[in-house]
Amino acid sequence: MRLVVPIKQVPETTAVRMDETTGTMVRDGVDAIVNPLDLYAVEAALRLREAAPDGTIEVVALSMGPPRAEVALREVLAMGADRAVLLTDRAFAGADTWSTANVLAAAVRRLWPVDLILCGERATDGDTGQVGPGLAAFLGLPVLTYVSRLALQPPAQCRVERLVETGRERLEADLPAVVTVVKELAEPRLPTLRGKQRARRAEVAVWTAADLGLPAEDLGLKGSPTRVERIFRPRLGRTCERLTIRDSADLEAAADRVVAVLNARGLL
Amino acid sequence: MNTAYGTVTPAIAGAIADIVGAHHVVYAEPERLAPYGRDESVEADGARPPELAVRPGSADEVQAIVRLAVAHRLPITPRGAGSGLSGGAIPIHGGIVVDLGRMNRILEIDTENLMVVVEPGVVTSEINEALRPHGLFYAGYPMSLETCCIGGNVAENAGGGKAVKYGVTGRYVMGLDVVAPSGELLCLGGKLVKDVTGLNLLQLMVGSEGTLGIITRVILKLLPLPRASADLLCLFRSPREAIGAVPRLMTRTGIIPTAIEFMDRTSLQASCRYLNESLPCADAGAMLLITVDGNDPERIVDDYERIGEACEAAGAVEIYVADNRTTSERLWRIRRNVAEAFKVFSPHQSLEDIVVPIAAIPAMVEAVERLSATYGVPIPCYGHAGDGNLHATPVMNPGWTLERWRETLPRLLTDLYRETARLGGRISGEHGIGCKRKAYLPLVLDAGTLAMTRAIKRALDPLNIMNPGKIVDPEG
Repeated sequence: MRLVVPIKQVPETTAVRMDETTGTMVRDGVDAIVNPLDLYAVEAALRLREAAPDGTIEVVALSMGPPRAEVALREVLAMGADRAVLLTDRAFAGADTWSTANVLAAAVRRLWPVDLILCGERATDGDTGQVGPGLAAFLGLPVLTYVSRLALQPPAQCRVERLVETGRERLEADLPAVVTVVKELAEPRLPTLRGKQRARRAEVAVWTAADLGLPAEDLGLKGSPTRVERIFRPRLGRTCERLTIRDSADLEAAADRVVAVLNARGLL
Repeated sequence: MNTAYGTVTPAIAGAIADIVGAHHVVYAEPERLAPYGRDESVEADGARPPELAVRPGSADEVQAIVRLAVAHRLPITPRGAGSGLSGGAIPIHGGIVVDLGRMNRILEIDTENLMVVVEPGVVTSEINEALRPHGLFYAGYPMSLETCCIGGNVAENAGGGKAVKYGVTGRYVMGLDVVAPSGELLCLGGKLVKDVTGLNLLQLMVGSEGTLGIITRVILKLLPLPRASADLLCLFRSPREAIGAVPRLMTRTGIIPTAIEFMDRTSLQASCRYLNESLPCADAGAMLLITVDGNDPERIVDDYERIGEACEAAGAVEIYVADNRTTSERLWRIRRNVAEAFKVFSPHQSLEDIVVPIAAIPAMVEAVERLSATYGVPIPCYGHAGDGNLHATPVMNPGWTLERWRETLPRLLTDLYRETARLGGRISGEHGIGCKRKAYLPLVLDAGTLAMTRAIKRALDPLNIMNPGKIVDPEG
């Protein structure tokens, strides 16, 4: 059985800065990490492999990104993935979720036969949550989103529990399928020293646009039907009233004022 | 001795208000004065709110307040963030608390001289945030850097997680402005790497816990900010194996790690439970958290691999690696949250700060285990293994009465400190003596040292108004 985990390298969440003129993320000098939500998908895949008889499941990590995204793939190899493929080409640059899912789908086809594709719920930078379902659409596979529990049912089914607004939903699906997982599934393991050493020596396969045989007009910025028009910090329309408290009398007056304001809006 | 002090009358409060402005004075308002009566040392006895708290905005104002205190013989307790762990900021004789929180400006970032000039009320982590764009950092900071103030760090000569490689606060203090107990302003040191002009009063002030004066300005030496770092979390079967690895990993690899932190089984499991962290550590008897830093990422990989291999040779059963900030934070928060985790178990605990020569740590850990068994008190042990500084923390059994705990703790601490002294150690590595450990000082300091400490206090503060009741009493 082959499980594929597409991952994304993202800037450290605490360090995200946007260039307001170009509408793109400032990546220079910012630490890059594996999208934290993808790590849950990696953990899910590794647990499925561990639950199955030795050597019957292969976990392949996949990432589209600049050459330095190789670091992210090595982190996932260190966690225990069997091999990794980096999709990198200048032609991919600026891809939106449609174009990204299209490229990933082509890579999955090249890895075929594949039984299960495990994705994070969304990436912490773009926050769209569209690539997993998009991938399923391009591949014509069933998609199960927000999965909080997951088990394989041989020979070719999986059983999942989804976290939905109304509660939990139990579903069975035929494989191959695409699953996007949520945090509740299992906390990702930490890479071990031995894992790191193994990952350093491992070979990361590199595939370019030519390897995937996709038409140039479907790639990158050119192949992206959506465009970022403008990025800006939304202005919150809050009006403040400042109450200065210097002594107990002020404190009483301030409390009265807060009560009055809340009352006026019918909030008490 | 308390009777020797004056009281803060409404007239004195008015005079202080004239100095700093009425809204920077808290007087006769018990609710607002109460927070000034405690710090973070849970068991510090004698906590008592001051009669008046004042928030000066300049050294001039501090001088005027001290002169007023001299004239009326009022005790003064300087205070930063109140995050101390030895009762240093608690005004046990009442009087005036001088809260330096308003003096919180970074005055100068001097990139030519690699120095920063700050006021005492600056939160320590803000210094490094301001320095980051310049590619510089201040290396002496303690674990509580997000809450504590630099003035308090200097007053306590705070240490922290990175002391193995970078040393403690005192190494970086190049200059100080101090308002002496007389009200005079002393300008000590400067932006000088070398300075033997006169007695080293600068370093006398560092770690004097506010008993010799009030710090109003600090000059700190800076270092280039390391561009890369990595952490190893190493699980061992026993504390003995973990601690035993420490000297070996430094001698075998020739690498000085930035930090080597230790946690015993109880600390590790309590913290993981508190944080909901699923690290597979159920079988681990102890852990080391080791950090390396530098400028070359390849070199860092080489360093952590060699340290990791040395730990494996010393018996580590599993080693986890963090080489990005997110994973690193996941490891460090386990270490940083131990104290909080134990507060959930029992609010009554005595966070200790013993320090022994690093080769004596295994014997110290075993002594702590023996004392824990003898007294029937859990004593989780964690701390800075790389510099011999252990936070052995007796925690009250939830089933005990407070009376039993209060009766047992001093006997337990006496035994703990005696054992520490026997191994060549001291009773505080970085938290200070304050009022919490004052009674135990004779267990580790000889009579001559104590007498000289008292003589210095008498000479500099003849009225005994500057943070009285801390470290030593002037008359033994």
